Amino acid sequence: MDAYEAGPDAGHGRDEPGESAGTPDPEEAPRSALAALSLPYQLGAALAVAVVGVAACFHLGMVFLHVAPSNTATKEHTRTIDDWIYPEFEQNWKLFAPNPLQQNVAVEVRADVRTADGGARTTGWYDLSAQDGEAIDGNPMPSHTQQNELRRAWDFLLASHDAENRPSGLRGALAEQYLRRIVLMRLDREGAAGPDGTIDRVQVRSRSTNVRPPEWSQEQVSETPTYRVLSWWPVPDDEAAEATGAAGATKGEGS
Amino acid sequence: MTRLVPAASRSLSRSVSRGIGRVTETALGPYQTAVVRIGFSATWLLFLLREFPHRQELYGPDGPWSWDLAQQLIADNGAFTVLMWSGSQLWFELVYVLAVLASLLLLLGWRTRTLSVLFMVGVLSLQNRSIFMGDGGDNVLHLMSLYLVFTRCGQVWSLDARRARKARARVDPDDDPAPDRVGPVLWGVLGVLLLGGIAAGKLDGDPLVPVILWGMWLAQGVGWVVARRGQGGEARTLLDIVGNLVHNAALFVIMAEACLIYATAGWYKIQGSRWQDGTAVHYPLHLDYFSPWPALSDLMSSSGTMVLLVTYGTVAVQVAFPFTLFNRRVKNILLAVMMTEHAVIAVVLGLPFFSLAMIAADAVFLPTSFLRRLGDRATRVCARLLARLRRNGGTGPDERARETGGDPADKAAESPHVGFTA
Repeated sequence: MDAYEAGPDAGHGRDEPGESAGTPDPEEAPRSALAALSLPYQLGAALAVAVVGVAACFHLGMVFLHVAPSNTATKEHTRTIDDWIYPEFEQNWKLFAPNPLQQNVAVEVRADVRTADGGARTTGWYDLSAQDGEAIDGNPMPSHTQQNELRRAWDFLLASHDAENRPSGLRGALAEQYLRRIVLMRLDREGAAGPDGTIDRVQVRSRSTNVRPPEWSQEQVSETPTYRVLSWWPVPDDEAAEATGAAGATKGEGS
Repeated sequence: MTRLVPAASRSLSRSVSRGIGRVTETALGPYQTAVVRIGFSATWLLFLLREFPHRQELYGPDGPWSWDLAQQLIADNGAFTVLMWSGSQLWFELVYVLAVLASLLLLLGWRTRTLSVLFMVGVLSLQNRSIFMGDGGDNVLHLMSLYLVFTRCGQVWSLDARRARKARARVDPDDDPAPDRVGPVLWGVLGVLLLGGIAAGKLDGDPLVPVILWGMWLAQGVGWVVARRGQGGEARTLLDIVGNLVHNAALFVIMAEACLIYATAGWYKIQGSRWQDGTAVHYPLHLDYFSPWPALSDLMSSSGTMVLLVTYGTVAVQVAFPFTLFNRRVKNILLAVMMTEHAVIAVVLGLPFFSLAMIAADAVFLPTSFLRRLGDRATRVCARLLARLRRNGGTGPDERARETGGDPADKAAESPHVGFTA
């Protein structure tokens, strides 16, 4: 006989999390599955209760300290917390907090192109974020490629570079290669190199414009954009070819 | 005074033992875990289908976040992704299709215990492959896919529940039921894959996910062995107790995680000057990346008072939510407010998948009575549609069986061993 089925569990409908449903007199209830077990199994069950309970509380404690502001406990136990949280339990819920972003940050790119006849030219600036914006306009389901790809690649680059645009560590190097590959793919889609040209090097900059304060507010903000200009990045030959291939493969796909 | 102490301690120990009885004997919140399962698997399924044309650019070996770049980052952080097992195009396409399939099957509740693990593998593999493509929605899904593995999320509204119901409906209990072949085959294949992964040194990163995979695989094997050795053994009861405990702990973690999300979002907002001066909501509405309908955004921020109310209201609701769990009525009102707000965000900020994920997380707090009514209505609509499709007027035995699906008495008698037979 399975004890689970024997239990007075007609109260399933009331098993609502977050709400304590009062059960009828517990002393009148038949003995539980736990009580029906022999001692060794009871000890096993008790151990399970302890282990599962401690594990759940420990996990929640770690997550709490991970999302909490830096404090006495987090400073003392940084290693323990990070070891537990990374890589799979990482999380960030500062959604539009403490302040929402108040600037439109556009990522732009231009390229030095070598033409087939040996000539060279520099293209104008391509506003890649404006292209994203166009793809998002009127789109009920924007793709991550339009909404996150370039935006987050730029954030990643800023986070892994100092104010003088010098990369720091592995992440800095990865961020540069990533952004370079994105802009190459986009330039290729635009046909920036022309029919026979190849892209020698690219330059990326950001243009940040303040979001205009609401009409009903008296606040004044500058409307002139500020730029952050990175240095020219040479394009490795294999990557130029690869970018062409990748873009060719995705060309013609609807958004 | 001294006589009060033993009385108090007796009542405390009684409520502790009652609590332990509840969490060991029952897998609580069957409807809540089912709705969370359905919500997240549907979100991920729709996302994968929507991004199907963009899959190469997002997660493919030659995408901008190339296999090589991912390899360097993952060697550093040890995140789990089967996409790093091979850089070939074929492997990538296979994993993507399997991820789609796993989310569909988890949605339907087929072999829920196994499929929740495969669902997690799909989510982690794709997301960890290109972490810079994701946003808050992906983050919630990532965490919940891990937590869902530990729940018995197929107790209701699933093919598993239907199968269990049919098995019980068989006239005679000692009428030999057809032996389950799919389960052992699935288990064997996954075991070979796991062993292969270990042998090839592909599971050397962070130990968390490999431990989960091995743990679930072994638990299922042990469950079968114990079940085969006779019907009502103590070992089986103990396994069932452990399964319930783990389920209940995971359900608690899911709820606490949702609270942490809201608490973090709310408390950090309080510190921001824009949330204090009541203009914060105006700004996201006017970011080019989050304004698919500029005219709608303008309309929504046209009144300063409205923006102030929404700004303050958002913070108040987010900060207050965890505390309202102690009062059923207030909690339900806030829940409705938050779900509505997320539905609005889906459209206005162009974040449908983020919103869907958040609504799925919120759903864990929905009242059972509401969920059951929802389920009844859904089955009725389905039955009517099916009947209309078949055009033969009557209700087939199939539908009649489904309509009783929400019956609590029926539910209580459902196989308690979903955990180990599925």
